[in-house]
Amino acid sequence: MENLPDKIMSSVHEIFSSMVMMDIVPGAPILGEINPLQNTITGMIGLAGTHKGMLAIHLPESLAKKVTGNFLGMEVEEIDDDVQDAIGELANMLGGSIKAVLTENGKDIKLSMPSTICGKEYQFQSHYEGESVIVPFAAEDSKFLVELRIKQEE
Amino acid sequence: MGKKILIVDDSNTMRKIVTRSLRQAGLDFDEILEAGDGLEALAVLRKEKVDLVLSDINMPNMDGLAFLREKSADAALNGIPVVMITTEAGNDIIGEAMALGALGSIKKPFTPDQIQETIGQLF
Repeated sequence: MENLPDKIMSSVHEIFSSMVMMDIVPGAPILGEINPLQNTITGMIGLAGTHKGMLAIHLPESLAKKVTGNFLGMEVEEIDDDVQDAIGELANMLGGSIKAVLTENGKDIKLSMPSTICGKEYQFQSHYEGESVIVPFAAEDSKFLVELRIKQEE
Repeated sequence: MGKKILIVDDSNTMRKIVTRSLRQAGLDFDEILEAGDGLEALAVLRKEKVDLVLSDINMPNMDGLAFLREKSADAALNGIPVVMITTEAGNDIIGEAMALGALGSIKKPFTPDQIQETIGQLF
């Protein structure tokens, strides 16, 4: 699958510029596994059909609150249901955007309902086979990661 | 504008984003109602006189396409206009929604200008 990092960068930029209204700067894709995540919230979504895998966005809690605040137009003080829902919706939009570049208009790829997890420290591991792409982004003096694990079915 | 709109999406965040975007687009509805899925939306439509529905497609319990099917089968609800707001861009799914009576679609992520462009022309 060609240019997955570029496609991820383009999708993330589109969402952050139009709906989150936050400037972001992509970094070079990360090789290997992600270190244990600390004080982070992860939004994730599964893909199935002609392409199978999962997409996750990992944000530090402070950045997740700012993203949610920008979505909702208000200050967000804690990781509450609004933040969980906002980050899940972020994963949902990313999934929709990515699937649209994997096949023509995302045809023959279904998305799962998004989920979120958060905690003081956790290791996020995906057991999907196939290509793995992890792209870091700088935003608001912080950094977040977008992780895509994807395999094209025969 | 003096009209009532129903926003249908399982994400509370997205319902709030749509509400803000409607206001930023200069579309001032008298009342904005919300529902978390197609079943809730049908219940709202049977109680309230709604002028426009903005609905997601991928929702639990009853998705947007099933909602369109049920709505079109109900003579009292059939004429209420619906625009889909969805991550789906595929011609097949959007085509199915249009065949079931949707008037148009807006792809997530969207800007207030895109909301204005699609919905503004309906009123």
